[in-house]
Amino acid sequence: MGEQWMFYFDPNRCIGCHACSVACKQRHDRDADADEWRSVFHVSTGEYPEFEEVPVSMSCMHCHDAPCESVCPPDAIIKRDEDGIVTVDRDRCIGCHYCAWACPFGAPTYDDEGLMSKCNLCLGEGAGGGHGQPERKTPEEGGVQPACVSDCVGDAIKAGPQSEVMAEASDRAAERFEDGAYDQRVIVEPVDDDAAVAEAIREGESTAGAVTYEG
Amino acid sequence: MDPLTAPLEFAIALESGLVGQSAVDHYWLSADYWDLSIPLYLFLAVVAGGGVLTGATAPVLARLLGSADGRLEGELARWGFLVGVVSAAGAGLAVLSHLAVILRAVLFPIYLTNFESWITIGTWILVGLSVIATVCLVFRLFGAKAAAAEGASLFPRAIVGKLGLLELADRLVDRFRPPAVVMGGLYAAGSLLAIATIYTGFELSIVETVPLWNMPVAVPLAFLFSGLAAGIGLTVGLTLVFERRLEPIIGAYAAMVGLLSGLGLAAVWYGWSVLTASDAPAAAASQVALTNGTLAAGSWLVVFGLAVASVVGLLVGALALTGRSGDGTDRLAGPALIGSFGLLLLGSLALRIILLLAAEQNPVVVVG
Repeated sequence: MGEQWMFYFDPNRCIGCHACSVACKQRHDRDADADEWRSVFHVSTGEYPEFEEVPVSMSCMHCHDAPCESVCPPDAIIKRDEDGIVTVDRDRCIGCHYCAWACPFGAPTYDDEGLMSKCNLCLGEGAGGGHGQPERKTPEEGGVQPACVSDCVGDAIKAGPQSEVMAEASDRAAERFEDGAYDQRVIVEPVDDDAAVAEAIREGESTAGAVTYEG
Repeated sequence: MDPLTAPLEFAIALESGLVGQSAVDHYWLSADYWDLSIPLYLFLAVVAGGGVLTGATAPVLARLLGSADGRLEGELARWGFLVGVVSAAGAGLAVLSHLAVILRAVLFPIYLTNFESWITIGTWILVGLSVIATVCLVFRLFGAKAAAAEGASLFPRAIVGKLGLLELADRLVDRFRPPAVVMGGLYAAGSLLAIATIYTGFELSIVETVPLWNMPVAVPLAFLFSGLAAGIGLTVGLTLVFERRLEPIIGAYAAMVGLLSGLGLAAVWYGWSVLTASDAPAAAASQVALTNGTLAAGSWLVVFGLAVASVVGLLVGALALTGRSGDGTDRLAGPALIGSFGLLLLGSLALRIILLLAAEQNPVVVVG
């Protein structure tokens, strides 16, 4: 069994420009009004003057335990042994939506035919494009970078084999991941406030590239 | 403001704040939804189980209780299998109507290969139940014995007669009627499959993203007890509409409906206590949804339907079983049973609908 591929996301570097979701639609030749395989949400907390907004980019996380796969009655969802990428065989999908309920990230989408499609980590192109494809290769090995990763202007999204992604994460993100955050389905940098970033800089710690325009 | 009685948006914002103190933040999105055909399917599948259970156990109960004549037992059995066949067919049509590619679902032995999925397991249970209910119904409706019987539940004979096939059907059934031991086996298998309709609860309870559903004890038991009670209640109600005799066998089933309704209510109450004690923000959102607005009426319908059926079923059941029912009580008890069991049907269906709709307002995790 090959190494699990996974996503990394750093909300501190995301500027909420939606380039990732647009790039995804372009790569997979999806209509502009089609449901998004990668979505950007703007999470707001507090009220003025304490108001804060954090952009969050999400897609299928290709979970190591893939809850969608275990509930799919016709075995249309496959968690690949070779790279851990979760693909969809649309020739088997019955469109029951059970996977949508099971997915903790709301990743499955349904087109006009009622069949499920979702991110395939650019293993292939189009709905169901990843199914049956050979093992995923890193750009260094000649594989393509996922569109959301290559078009992200702030380097907020990364994807790759778990060991490689972990190596690029901050100590805090890696520690949080090891502690079981998000059931170890995705590596996410903790959201820093400016004071915490300043404190981290003063103490000489890595801040994982937090973006701030103050101080 | 109490978050449990506050408007949904306020409670969500508040709960998000609470979660913000933990290591992982959540954000709130509307969840995917299943249309109303899904709760209808989840309901009818267990009602079918209740009908088959009544049909399969009627001969045993009649023997145990010494039924005055075979008419009531025959009526209960036929109505039971009819409820089983019609409800199972309705469940199948409801779930098929929801799917994108119906043909693949119809070809389930080829396509539904994931036996870890409760939809696959459930399909086999529902199909098995439908086949047994149909076979048992045919052997109850046709043949020389059925030709000599009387009762409203024999109406399908009239339909077959209009088609000019009644004589042939009676002859074929008598020719191929299996020995009693085989019929006993069919009844036993039907009863087991009726109980196996608990799978409808497991279909929801394994969904970890929805705390309202993710209760592996409360939800399956609530679905099983309330659904079987509704199926048995519907069978008894149909029988009583035409027979109007409160014999001990009717009392036994009325008491069974009362007991199952009470157990269903207990399971619902247990699930509610788990939900209200949960720290999960999604649990709080579901709780608010169930106690505010339109869904609150549905919640009360569930409680009211199960409670009334429980009290009336146990009371009338006890009267009929102990032989204390007379002309006066019969006149009241029959309509009371029919009315309360009708309310039970509505409450049992409402349970599935509100569980679905309250989860529709359930958030999904957004990383951040």
